[in-house]
Amino acid sequence: MEYLCHILVLIAIYSILASSLDLLAGHGGLLSIAHAAFYGLGAYTSAVAAVRFGAPFLVGVLAGVIVATVLSFIVSMPSLRLSGDYFVIATFAFQAILLSTLNNWTELTRGPLGIPGIPRPIILGWHVQSQLDFLILAAGFGAFAPTVVHRLTSAPFGRVLHAIREDDVSARALGKNTLYFKVTAFAVSAGLAAMAGSLYAHYVTYIDPTSFTVMESILIISMVIIGGAGSLWGPLVGAVVLVTLPEALRFVGLPSAAAANLRQIIYGTLLVLMMMFRPRGLIGKYSFAK
Amino acid sequence: MQFVVNGIITGSIYALVGISFALIYVPTKFFHFTHGAIFASGAYVCYACHVFLKLPLWTAILLALGASALGGFGLELYVFRALRRRGATHLVLLLASLGFYIALQNTTSLIFGDETRSLRSLEAAQNIVVWGAHITQIQLGIILAAIALSSSIWVTMKFTRFGKALRAVAGDPKLAEVCGINVDQMILLAFAIGSAVAGVSAILVALEIGVTPTMGLTALMGGIVAMIIGGVTSIPATLLGGLLLGLAQHLGVWKIGSQWQDAIAFLILAVFLLVRPQGFFGKPHKMAAI
Repeated sequence: MEYLCHILVLIAIYSILASSLDLLAGHGGLLSIAHAAFYGLGAYTSAVAAVRFGAPFLVGVLAGVIVATVLSFIVSMPSLRLSGDYFVIATFAFQAILLSTLNNWTELTRGPLGIPGIPRPIILGWHVQSQLDFLILAAGFGAFAPTVVHRLTSAPFGRVLHAIREDDVSARALGKNTLYFKVTAFAVSAGLAAMAGSLYAHYVTYIDPTSFTVMESILIISMVIIGGAGSLWGPLVGAVVLVTLPEALRFVGLPSAAAANLRQIIYGTLLVLMMMFRPRGLIGKYSFAK
Repeated sequence: MQFVVNGIITGSIYALVGISFALIYVPTKFFHFTHGAIFASGAYVCYACHVFLKLPLWTAILLALGASALGGFGLELYVFRALRRRGATHLVLLLASLGFYIALQNTTSLIFGDETRSLRSLEAAQNIVVWGAHITQIQLGIILAAIALSSSIWVTMKFTRFGKALRAVAGDPKLAEVCGINVDQMILLAFAIGSAVAGVSAILVALEIGVTPTMGLTALMGGIVAMIIGGVTSIPATLLGGLLLGLAQHLGVWKIGSQWQDAIAFLILAVFLLVRPQGFFGKPHKMAAI
């Protein structure tokens, strides 16, 4: 039961990450390799807020979302003026700079030692202690993020975003301020990722920079693509598949170091196979092809 | 003075990787992340042949060069060509390439382990003193290889029939096809040569520092940054970009400490993307073309 709850909490956290990245990559056509950076920003902000300043859970979440959103503007304003491939490299640069900061700004982040002793959340007197309680909380957040993304992309905002994805220049010719739409989508996506980060930090109660590397970003990208980009359920299916798959490997009885490598080999290979034979993903709508 | 020499050495490596990457990037226009894995596998083949099979170093080096050229050749022939035929966009190619990178890097870790392994068999102590700075034979070799390879590739691109054909493909693949150039064959050759040059730089890094599974991504990002700040357009521009990056990094190491090395490289990239995305020598980007 404990174990099952753990898997479900992870699925909820990755559902937030995958659906928020889908807003950007699937609906906006903007592939970002910096999603783990915003995830880490949320985790670190709320961890520092809780451990250093004793801030309550919801304040920490809010702080994480605000920090990530503000930083997202710094990344997106210049880099979204560039064409698609350069945007990928710019987000890669941000991911690398942030990871380097987490590792080296030791006064605040304790560097590679990580931050231990993050308390489990207390919300309006509700002590979220047991796994089951946390699952209820995570499920709430896990339902919130895809709903936000779904509402946004079904609204006129989403239609403009799709238009930009299909043809940036035509959308501009129709008088749409494309930069505004892209920057907003990036900010919402970053804010939701930070929310997932806060949730993760308060769940595992110990965080260190190794959870927020570029490999994590690629894992989230793989979820979006394997599940299917540009749809409500696609990223959720991707999150379920890529969270449960390595757990299945655990039962085969591999040593844990080899299992970590094997897991990454599997999702790397899946990514290639998807691109070759089913670029839409399992149930997606958008195939990164114009 | 030592930091200038160190900067030139690091810069030469970046320049070599940047040139090898540009050979593939310029005609195909997609960010070939697997190039990093090709780079690392070149180093590992050399390591395995020399240390496990006890082959002489020169034989091992030749085998490693063959292996990396064959790796690039095979990837293009069986994966990227098939994808391009199906009308895949640059983003799809990038994602497939990223998937391959993950799978290959983890296969390497699975076989050889994550630790850094040394390949050094030459006497490292043979220092040569130039203008009061110490430089080893291998480091001298790195600088000479960068000069020799970049000038010979530059001459090839500028004056031979193959070089002209490749530049025609880079300029406009359809027009090149109409003029009787076999576009697929040119791209295949570019992959093979680019991968072999990556192999050369990988072996030099292996001799200088050692081999690790993640060496490919670090080197590749340095190379990409060198190419972008140089301005993508030409071989000498990438060479200068690499040297500039290496010098800036070592100046940074000297002034603020080595742990910020990665962050410095990407900050330089960010500044260039912000202020001059076309690099030092490039022409401004166009948003749309007819």
